[in-house]
Amino acid sequence: MSLKIENVTKRYRNFTAVENLNFHIEKGEIFGLIGQNGAGKTTTFRMILDLQETTEGKIYWDGQPIHKVNRDILGYLPEERGIFPHMKVEEQLYFFAELRGMKKADIKKDIDFWIERFELEEKRHAKAETLSKGNQQKVQLIASFIHKPKFLILDEPFSGLDPVNMDLLKQAILYLRDTENMTILFSSHQMNNVEELCDRLCLLKRGVSLFSGSLLDLKKQYGKTRLTIRTAMSLAEMTLPGVKDIQLVKGEYFLTLEDEQYAPAIFGIVSRGEYIEKFSLDYLTLDEIFKDQVGGVHV
Amino acid sequence: MSKFWVLLRTLYVQKLKSKPFIIMTTLYIIGLIGFTFWSDIKELFSGDENTPEIIAIYNGTAEDIKPYFVDDVDFAYEYVTQAEELEKGLEKGDYFAALELSDIEGKLAANIYSYEALGFKDQERLHDVVTSTSQLYAVGQLNLTPEQTALVLDSTPLVQMITINAEESTKSTDEKVAGMVGSYAAGIIIYIVVISFLSIITTDVASEKGSRALEMLLVSVKPEIHFRSKVFGIFLVAVTQFSIVGAVLFGLLRFVDGGAKWDMVMNLIGELPPSYYLFVTAFLILTILLYLIIGALFGSLVSKVEESSQVMTPTMILIIIAFYVMISGVSNPDTLLIKVFSYIPFTAGMVMPMRIGATDMHIAEPAIALLILFASVAAIYKISLSFYKRSVLTYSTGGIIQKIKTVFKVTT
Repeated sequence: MSLKIENVTKRYRNFTAVENLNFHIEKGEIFGLIGQNGAGKTTTFRMILDLQETTEGKIYWDGQPIHKVNRDILGYLPEERGIFPHMKVEEQLYFFAELRGMKKADIKKDIDFWIERFELEEKRHAKAETLSKGNQQKVQLIASFIHKPKFLILDEPFSGLDPVNMDLLKQAILYLRDTENMTILFSSHQMNNVEELCDRLCLLKRGVSLFSGSLLDLKKQYGKTRLTIRTAMSLAEMTLPGVKDIQLVKGEYFLTLEDEQYAPAIFGIVSRGEYIEKFSLDYLTLDEIFKDQVGGVHV
Repeated sequence: MSKFWVLLRTLYVQKLKSKPFIIMTTLYIIGLIGFTFWSDIKELFSGDENTPEIIAIYNGTAEDIKPYFVDDVDFAYEYVTQAEELEKGLEKGDYFAALELSDIEGKLAANIYSYEALGFKDQERLHDVVTSTSQLYAVGQLNLTPEQTALVLDSTPLVQMITINAEESTKSTDEKVAGMVGSYAAGIIIYIVVISFLSIITTDVASEKGSRALEMLLVSVKPEIHFRSKVFGIFLVAVTQFSIVGAVLFGLLRFVDGGAKWDMVMNLIGELPPSYYLFVTAFLILTILLYLIIGALFGSLVSKVEESSQVMTPTMILIIIAFYVMISGVSNPDTLLIKVFSYIPFTAGMVMPMRIGATDMHIAEPAIALLILFASVAAIYKISLSFYKRSVLTYSTGGIIQKIKTVFKVTT
């Protein structure tokens, strides 16, 4: 086990930002911390990074209290742009790498590698303030892991990125895990990205953990209650058992079931009439679960 | 290389390459060159190559006053036989000014004429000329022997200051003048360095905080290392600027006019004991460090760089107060106000050197003030460090008091 959060609470006088938080992350795992704005994600990150003290509880890295750990094993990408606006891209990366104790020979090699991978060759000598938001995000991301930390925290890494750059970033995250065996903790409001990258996650609501565990376990709690049907029949006028909600979007019916056991009965009803193009029973998406858990949009 | 040195070196190189540093240093150098070559520049614009102004004199006394008026760099004298010629000459522009001299009850009386109103300096110089002439004229009336005349004219007293209390040192007037000049220079240096670099350190910390670069930095380095690197990095930049300007000044004094100005400065420096320079250097360094520490702390309070001026204002007011107290001490460095401010840490650096140089005081007094300043710098450094750790990642709105309250609220 790499990171262990044990009964962690953070209070500011009368306000509790994080309450009795518990989770752990295995070495080489990508772990998602999700929650609405103000749920306590950034506070949790700051406590892990020893930028803020915990009010109660302990945080361990490899069994050692986090404040005793060499800070160079940590990498951090803050939610907002955190680079020096007047510094050139290459200078900036060199500075962060040197600050993290990298050897000069390795710095040049690694900067070249990541600049090429993130398609920043033309911007190498440009000042950070002249870059687009997306490119600034890429530079900041490289700066956060150029020193190959053992544990990388990414706070909203996908914000401000277009789909192409988002894909580049996802590939980079997977690369870091697979080649460097990096342990990665990240937060995102884009649940599809969390689903795509995370093995396990923790769901926060107003500082309280609603769920901590594998994504599959979370989905299993809801069961396979998302039923998609494409048919020429009009399902809206039919009486179907166990259906909580039905919506027609671009020729497909999306049904939310009370339980997956109702699916065979529904299949029996709709297959009696006409040809069915699609009948698919799935787990809810993380986005739907998130809305249900923290947003009050019940499915 | 340690993280402290990486931060310090990066900051130092960045600031040295920055436009504001280059522009400010260039401006100081231009100012120094202008000051050193002022007489040449003046000549260039006036084009008169120091030609003395012609002063016409009509002598209405019975004495031969010609020996009393000796031509110098400012004035050359011409004599007319008729009083009416003065007015005509002035109208034609032949004379710069004119003196009509007469004798009233044994005293020299003078009317000073000019076509246009004279400037303050010219008026003052002409008045001085007439005053000294009237003294010579009065002596001339006494029919003294040449030896007696020489004795009267060479009547400068031989003054020696003697203090009975053996513990009190007694400085000569020359020493006090040298001390005053040296202290004034030290005060001006402190003022300029603080005014320039206080804003640099405050905006630098504020800019890093505002751009969130600080969050990335503080994952790697502890706040105290970051704080220390800022204070000493900017201090080094200030020392570098001071050294560049000092080197240029040295070159100008040493090599312009065959080193005449350099000899003058060396004479001035030679008037004061080495202990004076040690004290001034210590006050200079500690005062600049004190203000840089406060600047870094205040920079950590703001959430964005635009708010820097808001937090800098109180510190700026402090340094301006110190400067004006120092200026008031130029006319009289022995006042109670000067004495009190020479012990206050925020003003001591500018006021105490003046007292050391220009007044007779026991060495214990500047030593105590230095000790107070040193203790204050150490205490403020400690307090700032502790506060910096809390404030540097706290973002808030409102005035400076509100910001401090927020820091305590979210970190305790």
